[in-house]
Amino acid sequence: MNFLLFLGVKVALLLAIVLTAALVTIYVELKAGSHMQTRIGPYYAGGKWGWAQPLADGAKFLQKEDLAPAKADRTVFGFAPYVVMMSSLAIFAVIPLHGSFVATRLDLGVFFILAISSLSVLGVLMAGWSSANKYSLIGGLRAAAQLIAYELPLVLAVVAVVIQAGTMSLVGIVEAQQATLFTINGIAISLPYILTGQVVGFIIFMVASIAELSRIPFDMPIAESELTMGYLTEYSGIRFSMFFLGEYASMVGLSAIAATLYLGGYGVPFLPQSMEAFAGPAVLLLKVSALVFFIIWIRWTWPRLREDQLQSMAWRWLIPISLLNIAVIGVFKVVL
Amino acid sequence: MTSRELMHRSEVAVSVELETPNMTLNIGPQHPSTHGVLRLIATVDGERITSLEPVIGYMHRGYEKLAEVRTYAQITTLVNRIDWVSGFANEVPFILGVERLMKVEAPERAQWIRLILSELFRISSHLVFMSSYPLELGATTPLMYVLREREYILELIEGLTGGRFHPNFNRVGGIKPNYGGGSQSKKQSMDLPAGFFKSTIEAMDRMNKICDDIDILVTGNELFKARTVDIGVIPAEKALEFGLSGPNLRASGIAYDLRKIENYLPYDQLDFNVISRPGGDCFDRYMVRLEEIRESVKIVRQAIDIIPSGPLQAKVPRILKVPRGQVYSRAENPKGEFGYYIVSEGGKMPYRLKIRSTSFSNLSILSWVLKDQLIPDLVAIMGSLDFVLGDVDR
Amino acid sequence: MSDQPDTDQAAESPTSEPTPLEVFAADVTERLGCLSYDVEFDTVRVFVDKDKWVDTINEARTELPFFSWLSAIDWSKDYEVGEGVADPDSLEERFEVICRLSSVTNGDGVNFVTVLPRENPTIGSLTESIGGAEWHEREAHEMFGIMFEGHNNLIPLYLPDDFIGNPLLKSFPLIAREVKPWPGEVDVEGLPETDDEEDES
Repeated sequence: MNFLLFLGVKVALLLAIVLTAALVTIYVELKAGSHMQTRIGPYYAGGKWGWAQPLADGAKFLQKEDLAPAKADRTVFGFAPYVVMMSSLAIFAVIPLHGSFVATRLDLGVFFILAISSLSVLGVLMAGWSSANKYSLIGGLRAAAQLIAYELPLVLAVVAVVIQAGTMSLVGIVEAQQATLFTINGIAISLPYILTGQVVGFIIFMVASIAELSRIPFDMPIAESELTMGYLTEYSGIRFSMFFLGEYASMVGLSAIAATLYLGGYGVPFLPQSMEAFAGPAVLLLKVSALVFFIIWIRWTWPRLREDQLQSMAWRWLIPISLLNIAVIGVFKVVL
Repeated sequence: MTSRELMHRSEVAVSVELETPNMTLNIGPQHPSTHGVLRLIATVDGERITSLEPVIGYMHRGYEKLAEVRTYAQITTLVNRIDWVSGFANEVPFILGVERLMKVEAPERAQWIRLILSELFRISSHLVFMSSYPLELGATTPLMYVLREREYILELIEGLTGGRFHPNFNRVGGIKPNYGGGSQSKKQSMDLPAGFFKSTIEAMDRMNKICDDIDILVTGNELFKARTVDIGVIPAEKALEFGLSGPNLRASGIAYDLRKIENYLPYDQLDFNVISRPGGDCFDRYMVRLEEIRESVKIVRQAIDIIPSGPLQAKVPRILKVPRGQVYSRAENPKGEFGYYIVSEGGKMPYRLKIRSTSFSNLSILSWVLKDQLIPDLVAIMGSLDFVLGDVDR
Repeated sequence: MSDQPDTDQAAESPTSEPTPLEVFAADVTERLGCLSYDVEFDTVRVFVDKDKWVDTINEARTELPFFSWLSAIDWSKDYEVGEGVADPDSLEERFEVICRLSSVTNGDGVNFVTVLPRENPTIGSLTESIGGAEWHEREAHEMFGIMFEGHNNLIPLYLPDDFIGNPLLKSFPLIAREVKPWPGEVDVEGLPETDDEEDES
């Protein structure tokens, strides 16, 4: 009984955090993107800064008609958004906000994340196929090819971190980054992995995660000016908002993973143990925000890559470089 | 072996074994990336287009038939709307043709004002290209910056002519003299509005600045170059065969600019270059238009220094009867060579008006250039041809 | 060239020297074996025999490579819209197909004209050597009813599939005027007055 209560609280808290994060990210994308384009962005919804715009959009989606094309496969059509949403939400179960403040303390945290996030490919394929629309089919196939191609550099980059940390648990990786490297004047200095040899891995991880999110410059699957939303064309209302929320939730999720693996997670240097309970989550939030802003910034600045250029970048550049990265890290781990 | 060759080889191998039929994809007429109501029936094999047939005519308004029932002054109003992005530039060759038939010459000041307005509309049309072309490739930001700068030009034009897109400013024998103010101040008010030249110079400074901004944001971008370099190469002979003109032709290596060749407006008193690039791919067409904005800025600045004072319109009879004859008059529109073949039988209305519209010829090359290209390249190539459906369909 | 006043044009006196354009037109006509030429208002028209149409155009393209446009004129006595010809009695009813080729190095341009009879107008198609002619010929076909032999895709270009008739023929009425009669010439702004007249505002 106690266990179930505890579980219910965890699930509710997690959903609350994740959905709030997703909504805030949507708002930041609207506002920051607008300012980058010398526009103002949302202005009226909710008072001066238009903060209620994502909520208003959500409410609008909820009250829309439940449409599906006549020839669509209704079961698959209805199920696809939830597959994608589920795979984005499940990541958050293992991300540590603090040493003991994590939903599930899995020893195989990294493995779990990579496995669950690959399920989104299934959801995308289901969406593209069941829409009974040639554009959606093309978009769905493009998306599946892209997501599969960019899974590999993602996994390989993470493997390098795992080798360096020696553990697959996310909490363990953060603690490994907090290990003292050297001391200056009696103050223990510990550096996040990005500064101790994982720069290449970080770059590969960020590129691969932007591709996993299907954002510009990798948004061929939903290339708006060509395919009118690709595999999402026939979706409207609640189902569309599930895809939408799922995309922003995984943006936050992948940034949180990058922050944990490469930037030190909730670890703060030079801080006494007592403050860690408060400072840890705040620091993680800061790091995640920086990465999310970076991803948004890139979206509004660059054009998109063509499908074959995208694939060639993954197979001919990212995968060999990440394999090399693993080899180098392995050698250094053994030697040093 | 390049990835493109690898891909092509593997496709050939697969199609022999599996014999997958080609899919017919219908793009348009309502579609975000076609410049208006254009329908493309594409037969695709995976991502590769095997054949493409454009279907046009959704915007056919029957200009040539309508012109047979309109007087020459009324036709001036009508032809603004052919290529609605470069409104004034459509009127110029028509009025020049009528003036040739009537053996009337516009006063100098009127010709210079026509020149300045043509160049302002050229800048405006190229800015529309600058904003929409990166948008089609996925870069959403240049749209906002460029269209904001274009507003300055449209404000200038509106202050002068009363219309942003369709100025309807030419009259046979000159340009429209502004009335208003009563007969006492008639001489003062029958000219350009006060402060026009000053605001024009300021706007030209902004144009140079936005060209530099676009250079930094778009031209040097590796991704943009990967999407446009060596895509949609049109060799020079094919371009001449299909009647491509304007920036499209100049990007294929032929430096043909009617402003230098045919003296329809006093361009010979100005110093400017004809921009031409040898390659013929999408990037060249983009760069030619970018540089042409800078050249037009130079032209406008020089014109404002040179422009003489004087009357704005020559004396023409009240009822305009154009003598018998046939004339072909052409001008360098922003999109290319735009011409009118006017057949007049001595009445108030032309007997036949044939409109040689630039985008019609520019678009006719589409099925040739898009053979064996990928679908994303379709968008890139079509955007780089810079056509307007009103011009294509008339 | 349109800016110079016509004080020294050879319009009136038949003994003056031929202008450069007339020299050019005569030269083109002779070299390509065409029927005649006509230069007025700085527009060169060279008349070609309709059986030699394709060969003449192809040969002319060696020095005038830019294919500008191809269209037709319907010379007819009975007209439904607009004004007719100035001199109906001396009019020979015919079709004229015009193709313009011009040069890209200087301002030379020639409008090649060929005359077709009104019944069963047929002429050879230029699409084999000039790819751009395809659309122009399709337009001329649907607007005038002229058949182009050798064109492999002579379907309407602009008009809807179920449209009957050839709109640009003089005998084809302007449908908008049939539906609603024209209100007449209503000019909101008067044509320019002389300086002594009062301003009507």
